[in-house]
Amino acid sequence: MGQDNFAPQKRSSTGGGGGLPTIRNEAGAGGRNRGFPSMPRGRQMHKTFNNIKITILCGFVTILVLRGTIGVGNLGSSEAEAINQNLIEETNRILAEIRSDSDPTDPDESPETELNPNVTYTLGPKITDWDQQRKVWLSKNPEFPNFVNGKARILLVTGSPPNPCDNAIGDHYLLKAIKNKIDYCRLHGIEIVYNMAHLDKELAGYWAKLPLIRRLMLSHPELEWIWWMDSDAFFTDMVFEIPLYKYEKYNLVIHGYPDLLFEQKSWIALNTGSFLFRNCQWSLDLLDAWAPMGPKGLIREEAGRILTANLKGRPAFEADDQSALIYLLLSQKDQWMDKVFIENQYYLHGYWAGLVDRYEEMMEKYHPGLGDERWPFVTHFVGCKPCGSYGDYSVERCLRSMQRAFNFADNQVLKLYGFRHRGLLGPNIKRIRNETATPLEIVDLLDIRRSVHGKTESKS
Amino acid sequence: DTNAETNNYNDFELNKVLVDEESDDSKLDPDKPYSLGPKISDWVKQRSEWLKENPDYPNFIGPNKPRVLLVTGSSPKPCENPVGDHYLLKSTKNKIDYCRLHGIEIFYNMALLDAEMAGFWAKLPLIRTLLLSHPEVEFLWWMDSDAMFTDMAFEIPWERYKDSNLVMHGWNERVYDQKNWIGLNTGSFLLRNGQWALDLLDAWAPMGPKGKIRDEAGKVLTRELKNRPVFEADDQSAMVYLLATQREQWGDKVYLEHAYYLHGYWGLLVDRYEEMIETYHPGLGDHRWPLVTHFVGCKPCGKLGNYPVERCLKQMDRAFNFGDNQILQIYGFTQKSLASRRVKKVRNESRNPIEVKDVLRSLHPAFKAVKVSSS
Repeated sequence: MGQDNFAPQKRSSTGGGGGLPTIRNEAGAGGRNRGFPSMPRGRQMHKTFNNIKITILCGFVTILVLRGTIGVGNLGSSEAEAINQNLIEETNRILAEIRSDSDPTDPDESPETELNPNVTYTLGPKITDWDQQRKVWLSKNPEFPNFVNGKARILLVTGSPPNPCDNAIGDHYLLKAIKNKIDYCRLHGIEIVYNMAHLDKELAGYWAKLPLIRRLMLSHPELEWIWWMDSDAFFTDMVFEIPLYKYEKYNLVIHGYPDLLFEQKSWIALNTGSFLFRNCQWSLDLLDAWAPMGPKGLIREEAGRILTANLKGRPAFEADDQSALIYLLLSQKDQWMDKVFIENQYYLHGYWAGLVDRYEEMMEKYHPGLGDERWPFVTHFVGCKPCGSYGDYSVERCLRSMQRAFNFADNQVLKLYGFRHRGLLGPNIKRIRNETATPLEIVDLLDIRRSVHGKTESKS
Repeated sequence: DTNAETNNYNDFELNKVLVDEESDDSKLDPDKPYSLGPKISDWVKQRSEWLKENPDYPNFIGPNKPRVLLVTGSSPKPCENPVGDHYLLKSTKNKIDYCRLHGIEIFYNMALLDAEMAGFWAKLPLIRTLLLSHPEVEFLWWMDSDAMFTDMAFEIPWERYKDSNLVMHGWNERVYDQKNWIGLNTGSFLLRNGQWALDLLDAWAPMGPKGKIRDEAGKVLTRELKNRPVFEADDQSAMVYLLATQREQWGDKVYLEHAYYLHGYWGLLVDRYEEMIETYHPGLGDHRWPLVTHFVGCKPCGKLGNYPVERCLKQMDRAFNFGDNQILQIYGFTQKSLASRRVKKVRNESRNPIEVKDVLRSLHPAFKAVKVSSS
């Protein structure tokens, strides 16, 4: 039962080319409070089917979790907890992905044909000498060095779909999340690319980051690192800086647990919601090796079966980029792992449920700059999916938590200006420091940029 | 309480949740004249000393290229109009793109620093705070949330303003002679960091405090300015009034620019985008290819604008795409049409990306170059 039956219904309901889709027009004219009266019946059936899938999946996960708890009695309790947490976290993520599996409608588009499985998909023409090309470009363009003020040049890449979210709350939190990223990146001299385009319709959904990363690497030889970050991840430590010195010999930095990966072959051993790729030939090769499970339709579904068969705990559904990467790194371990750094000393990705309730405790006991469980670098709201219609947790819990994370981070930014939020939930702020006629004394003490950055020296 | 139980975002009322635990205990003294903050008279000295002590944070990041901070923002509460936040998001992405290309930093404000100066006046205390906290910033560029960049290649002609402290889109005659309330626009302007800016903000602020003061000031402005409707004092009318009545004090440092669209009223521009694409090219910044398209009056975040909602939203989509196309094209894509959300490739990828020279040049323009160290 595929999407094909529903596509014609979607197209005819949107009318001629050039205009906005019907649902949005209605929203523009009279507000959204009427629910979705114009949703085609086919879509409702689709949603019911999804709900059944979810019920089964939930039952399955319950069993898995029980198995997991019982089955890992040999490991220490903290690791069992981590595994438990990860299982829940990732299942929720996947559940949410199932829900948001519809592509944007386009009245102009002819029916999309699926990729011929006999033709190997490629991200682009094979490049084999990128390191050399890049080196030549850098030497010819010294005013665009890959190190600025002693720091490697990083580009943060994130994005969201081009259509409005299923409801307004989703867009509101996308907005808050991008403000949060703008703040962190301004303080740390990092540029941002916010993508809202599907560059390759074969690799839609969570796979969309692959062609995007490749394109940005090749267009920006001056970049040393590309940092992908999901739209539902918030910076919560505004001071912490990625310890790049640790990764001089590596090309991929990703949060995860080696034992979950190599021993458990767990489908959630790593998290592709926040990771760094060095701009180099190795990365292009990895992207090429990673992409083949991505093209939607038959290929992605078949790949999903392989992944479920080979990775521990993975439910049955189409291939996702995270499972695919794990599988790739496991099955071609010798080719890739020497350049992959699995990081868990700080929260390059921090699963939100274990963190958000402790913010007050953190503010009392600790301080920004730690990046770990005492003051998490990134709080990642896997499973909340506010851009869709349904979350896997109670909406209230998710939104409260996201707002708390936002305020927790914003407090660190507002401190320089003499303010903080009244509480972690509400919009209002209050002054925490009287104004003076000599503001620069405070600025010297509090500006995060100057406490973080060392002195300058060019480096090639 | 359906709020607590539901997993469905469509059933949820966010405003019930976003509530402060602490109450606002600050008391406003009605007799105390409003002030943006303690009077500072030696900002030039303070700032230049700081700049000397902090050579890693120069106020000029290149020859003829001042350090610029683009400041914009929106309410911390969700928009009343359900699609408002989506357009704020797109507008923000649009600003991120322009600023990345032009080496400009962004401050996105979502905090009300001073409850008395709520609404359009909120930018004043914010601007003052930012100028004083960021001595390294040479120009602060305020830009409304409903303004979008539509010329990604146009660089502000900084040299032209070397003797000016405030640059706004507008016309001398309409401000000084006619006192026209829309003789200039405060939705997109440049303010140089310095003593003059602090003094101007202090002179601008008095009509702002909400309530009686703002209402009374509104009456004065409607009486004194040409064509102004009746409503409370707004920052733009107040600026016209200030300049028209105190020209000798401020005029010589104010540049009213109309050679390009530092602010471009959307009504005159959006229907001509296709014609522009056919006839002209990015980099002009003016009526042929406007730098900024500003959706004054649309108010997509609120419930009631001055124009039909559908026209506003549709045109905002088109303006967004018009700007986004210029970014996508650098990467080898384009929007299928100004109304579409789909993109397509316009250029085959190469095995030798560094030889696609024009492309790389657009992404690495001279005004973004880092000063080469002389070691």
